[in-house]
Amino acid sequence: MSAFILRRLLLSIPTLVGVLVVAFLLLFVAPGDPVMAMVGERADEATIARLRQELRLDDPLYVQFGHYVAGIAKGDLGRSYITNRPIRKDILERFPKTLQLAGAAMLLATVCGVTLGVLSAWRPGGFIDRFGLGIAYLGISFPVYWVGLLLILLFAVTLHWLPPSGFGGVRYLILPALALGMRSIAFLARMTRSAMLDALGADYVRTARAKGVREGLVVGRHALRNALIPIITVLGLDFGAYLTGSILTETIFSWPGLGRYVVNAIARRDLPAIQGSVLFLSAVFVLVNLLTDIAYAKADPRVTYA
Amino acid sequence: MRRFIALSLPVLLLACGGGGDGANRRTLVDARDNYDPRSLDPALSTDVPTGRVVGYLFDGLTRFTPDASVVPGLATSWDVSPDGSVYTFHLRRGVRFTDGTPFVARQVLTSWQRVLDPSVRGGRGWPLYPIKGAKEYADGKATSIAGMAAPNDSTVVVTLKEPFAIFPKLLAMPVASIAPDKVPANFGEAPVGTGPWKLVEWKHDDYLLFAPNREYWGGAPKADSLKARIISEPSTAVAEFQSGNVDVLQVPQGEIRDWQEDAERRKLLAPTPSLELVYVAINTTRGPLKDVRVRQALNYAVDRRIILRNLIAGSGDLAAGVIPFHLPGSDRTRIGYAFDTTRARQLLREAGYPNGVDLELWTSANPIYVRIAETLQGYLQLSGIRVKLIQRESAAAREAARKGQTDLFVKDWYADYPDAENFLYPLLHSANKGVGGNVSYYSNPQFDSLVSASRREQDETKRVAMYRQADEIAFRDAPMIYLYFYSELTAIQPWIRGFVPPVIFNAQPWTNVTTTAASPGPRTAGASTSTPPGTMPATPTPAPASTGAHP
Repeated sequence: MSAFILRRLLLSIPTLVGVLVVAFLLLFVAPGDPVMAMVGERADEATIARLRQELRLDDPLYVQFGHYVAGIAKGDLGRSYITNRPIRKDILERFPKTLQLAGAAMLLATVCGVTLGVLSAWRPGGFIDRFGLGIAYLGISFPVYWVGLLLILLFAVTLHWLPPSGFGGVRYLILPALALGMRSIAFLARMTRSAMLDALGADYVRTARAKGVREGLVVGRHALRNALIPIITVLGLDFGAYLTGSILTETIFSWPGLGRYVVNAIARRDLPAIQGSVLFLSAVFVLVNLLTDIAYAKADPRVTYA
Repeated sequence: MRRFIALSLPVLLLACGGGGDGANRRTLVDARDNYDPRSLDPALSTDVPTGRVVGYLFDGLTRFTPDASVVPGLATSWDVSPDGSVYTFHLRRGVRFTDGTPFVARQVLTSWQRVLDPSVRGGRGWPLYPIKGAKEYADGKATSIAGMAAPNDSTVVVTLKEPFAIFPKLLAMPVASIAPDKVPANFGEAPVGTGPWKLVEWKHDDYLLFAPNREYWGGAPKADSLKARIISEPSTAVAEFQSGNVDVLQVPQGEIRDWQEDAERRKLLAPTPSLELVYVAINTTRGPLKDVRVRQALNYAVDRRIILRNLIAGSGDLAAGVIPFHLPGSDRTRIGYAFDTTRARQLLREAGYPNGVDLELWTSANPIYVRIAETLQGYLQLSGIRVKLIQRESAAAREAARKGQTDLFVKDWYADYPDAENFLYPLLHSANKGVGGNVSYYSNPQFDSLVSASRREQDETKRVAMYRQADEIAFRDAPMIYLYFYSELTAIQPWIRGFVPPVIFNAQPWTNVTTTAASPGPRTAGASTSTPPGTMPATPTPAPASTGAHP
């Protein structure tokens, strides 16, 4: 297992190098000049030329790339063109908040989604199954933007139960986590339901029931464990996606996470901030994928990575 | 699974305790900023959120009042030489920075030097360029600034390149604020100024919290603290306002009508003649647009009244010229281009385009401007002007316009300082083509010389007359489709006293603003005060300590 993890970590290096190159080059192809964004509405050519020089934007591309790679090798993601703050500090300040939101959304999704899925599969066609199907339809077809605003209107403006937006304790976390996790709840519920139906129809479940195992144990231990692989896949993919910053959710709920940071950086053509965030987020994604693979092995003894 | 549900119930119940704490707050909360300030270093002040905050923390030699007149700031008075090119500023004595450093004349020089120093990477030196030698210093051609001197601790003498009568207005811009002479590397995060407020903490993309500077020379702020929240989604800001969590809101353009038609909400509105022109820049150097008749036809082809009334709920004034009606030099009697398709077609025929013209109309992704662009497309079609819409993200659209690649570009212009010169010169003077702000690439020697002369003119009456005349000349040349001057709508909670929406963004320091609930009492979190009449019923709610709302 540790050999597998080591190999995967080594393999992720070329992936990240690829990300580095693409992130660097794409930004030079994309329209929009960082200096133009810096100077605001009114400027003059001389100022722009001096700033370009100051930011080394006139150096040949390979020289700029060399500087950038040299910085990264030292763990330095550079400083923002716009704010002059170190990118590393900016990212480390925001990532825990994104992590908190993603974690809460996933927790909510796992608890609600898997429960709903298991209960639906347990009595297919029953009330809970139909209720679950309704929830799943809503969760998948409603855009997060709209749901987010509705949640704010209902729970904050009308009922005064929760704050509309901002960052703070649990009270601030509930609405954005719900908005963000809703799609996952829906997916997980459907995914769990079909995997559980397969498992519950399998011979070993019949055997277990025949030898008198309690229904709870049959469902919980024999069937659910076998249905876990697709559930883990969905969880891993969604978690990876949420960690890379849930732009819409963070924007609607004024959540000071990485998603908003990246959007602002893009709007202002803040090249070091965009590149640094993309690199960091890719590393996070690679890590989450690795954890997902490890979780497969934990959930299913037949999966080995010898 | 039952265990999970059992576990989550108390959490939910806990979460449901109390919502908006409305009038019980002693912190003033502003919700007008929708992105994080760039920095708190005045030298980096190039955007509105930054400028606003710099105005809380720092002072300039002059400052704006909310209704946009210029009054003394750190300078108590100034003398101007008879030819108008030497300014002697007499500085306020006994002022200290919040770290105790005394304010002296030398700091004026070092602050402005930093603004112009390319290694500070501010990018906005132009307000100081009128000073002799400032441009040379910024361009790296000189090691000091010839036109600035501090003969003693309380006098600054500024020599200008040429007379520039409105120079004191430029010194009230955030970028010209005075900082200590030695600033640490993290000054943008840990600013020290002489302003009415001190920074308590800055949670990026979340809020900035300020405490009063009790020693402020202009009188300490009356409230306990001020919080500027960063809310990027306008609908969320509205929800926060409706929940009573924020005191001042900029009503989103898309929601103006809802607010105007709601009897309760309408009472909270304070319209402000913001110095903002919304227009369509016509690039006067491209194809058929070189012909003034085609440009006039574009103006006649559009029903601006309908655009103003239907798209932004009439919150503004139709423009006939670039000078907002709030500023001297504007002309309310000038008759704007009326909607007249016959006239438009006739002008096109006279210009040699009987079959109409094909143009590209650029817009940013701002939803209002996209709608305006679509409406314009429809109107122009009626007169045989076929327009292809090109929508780009705002930085990209602006860059294309600056490079002269756009035929027509829907855009706006906010004043940096309240003077007609701030519209005429950057938007239409040929010295500012492209990045300077003149994306119409308009060039008319008569206009240029009139505007240049007005900048030198010391007599205000004459200067204003020149503004009016220059505006008239450009208006006939139609380098833009004149749309409207937007009137900003600010919503203010009923429990707030003393907040006057400023005409220019950095002119409201909140020093005289109070909440009606601000009676003396213990400042502990959740301390309940009596609910004043006319406010929302507020439950005494322990504020979550982590929000930092109660320092």
